[in-house]
Amino acid sequence: MSGSRARRRLAEHGVAVASPVLVLLAWEIAGATGLLGPAFFPRPSTVLAHLGRLVADGTLAGHAVATLARVAGAFALAAVPGIATGLAMGLWRRLREGLDPVFAVVYPIPSVLFLPLVSFVLPRGETALIVTAAVTSFFLVSFTTLEGVRQIDPLVVEAARHYGAGGRRLFTAVLLPGALPYVFTGLRLGLGYALIVVVAVEIVAASRGLGALLWLSWQVLKVEDMYATFLVIAGLGAVLSYGLAALRARLLPWAQDLTAR
Amino acid sequence: MTGEPVKVAVDEVTVAFASHGRSVVALDRISLQVAAGEFLCLVGPSGSGKSTLLRVVAGLLPQTSGTVRIEPSRPGTPLTAMVFQEHALLPWRTVLANVAFGPENRGVVRAAREARAREMLALVGLARFAGHYPHQLSGGMKQRVGIARALANDPEVLLMDEPFAALDAQTRAIMQEELLRIWATLGTTVIYVTHSLEEALLLGDRVVLMTARPGRVSQVFPVELGRPRGLEIRGSQAYGVLLEKIWAQLREEVVRAMDDDRHAPLA
Repeated sequence: MSGSRARRRLAEHGVAVASPVLVLLAWEIAGATGLLGPAFFPRPSTVLAHLGRLVADGTLAGHAVATLARVAGAFALAAVPGIATGLAMGLWRRLREGLDPVFAVVYPIPSVLFLPLVSFVLPRGETALIVTAAVTSFFLVSFTTLEGVRQIDPLVVEAARHYGAGGRRLFTAVLLPGALPYVFTGLRLGLGYALIVVVAVEIVAASRGLGALLWLSWQVLKVEDMYATFLVIAGLGAVLSYGLAALRARLLPWAQDLTAR
Repeated sequence: MTGEPVKVAVDEVTVAFASHGRSVVALDRISLQVAAGEFLCLVGPSGSGKSTLLRVVAGLLPQTSGTVRIEPSRPGTPLTAMVFQEHALLPWRTVLANVAFGPENRGVVRAAREARAREMLALVGLARFAGHYPHQLSGGMKQRVGIARALANDPEVLLMDEPFAALDAQTRAIMQEELLRIWATLGTTVIYVTHSLEEALLLGDRVVLMTARPGRVSQVFPVELGRPRGLEIRGSQAYGVLLEKIWAQLREEVVRAMDDDRHAPLA
């Protein structure tokens, strides 16, 4: 019974598992046969050995904790005001019309460029780094939350009003839950972006963190360590993204096949 | 109309709104009375304002002038509850929580409102689906939930806006008979909007035929086909005669409405 279910799951997700394995296998073979030079393209097995060493001597943990703390800070800084702003814009047309052009101008600016700007007003270092990493995530969460409020079926809202939901009740029982699937999408995008920007900023402006480790490894030509850090960052991104997806599935069972509706 | 007291009195109700700078009259001095326990059907061509009238009675739309009076028989319960055409359930609530939504908003305690909701779900034959979400139900089942939600609110008047129009023919036939059974059980006053004369004759005590643009009452037809009624009445002679009579009148209205459309300036 459970065996057949596992088999079905494997059949369903087989491609997702097989594709990265195949890439790594091809890489390994290319490295072993000398098709790829070991100076810049070390074999995955070599990278894994270096990764093991970085884990064992505690180097990786220190950098990873620094990065995770920054991502958590940036994410919280983006998510809370992002949801609030998105909801407010969804509820008040005037606010939406006022903020829309501002957002349209600021949003496409590459986030790392905010670092010098932020550094003018905030103390350099941790705070500036975290605020910079929060900017783009904030916009992503705001946009998706706003869209979440706006896509709620007006007929559902009318029906809810008809059945006595007004004012605060309408907000807590209808608008907020109705927007939640979109909020989660925004959070997932925002969390990924926070990681991207934190690592990027660490490359240019920090001595600790995975971005700093990656850059340092490159500069001293410890290419294996660079790849190992690469792997860790990629893995971290995947875990965070799938983690939020799993949380959404658990918290919003009704939104499972929202697209099929 | 029977000897029952008047439940709903619509008096000279007009609804007008501005559209492209012109005033459009959706309802023109409609007057109508519905007796307690009566099943009243509103039919008419599209644009005749049947749904508009229902929304005014429901309080969802303000009338421009005129009055709607609903005689309360019990204090504390809402006057109307609407069953919407597109079910309009809250997707994030279970069936049970959807049905209990009205009482919940009125502050009824959890145990009481859930007991009431379960009772109504049993009445519409969905007791086993209390824990499901709307997206897990078929169209007919969603509409049953919509009916249970309306009934759980214990309204003075049940308002139904083409509730079965989106269902397939077989499901619709079953739902119509179910509705008649529920109505016979509860004796609620019902105002039912439909564009199907067959449906109106199957369900209604009276059929109110409305005209298009502006919406007015064209004629009221008593449906004297006896109760309880089932789909078999379609074979009776009285049914055929009445259907023909209403259709002749409705046809005239539809043709006139189409004519108006043809001569109307493009907006």
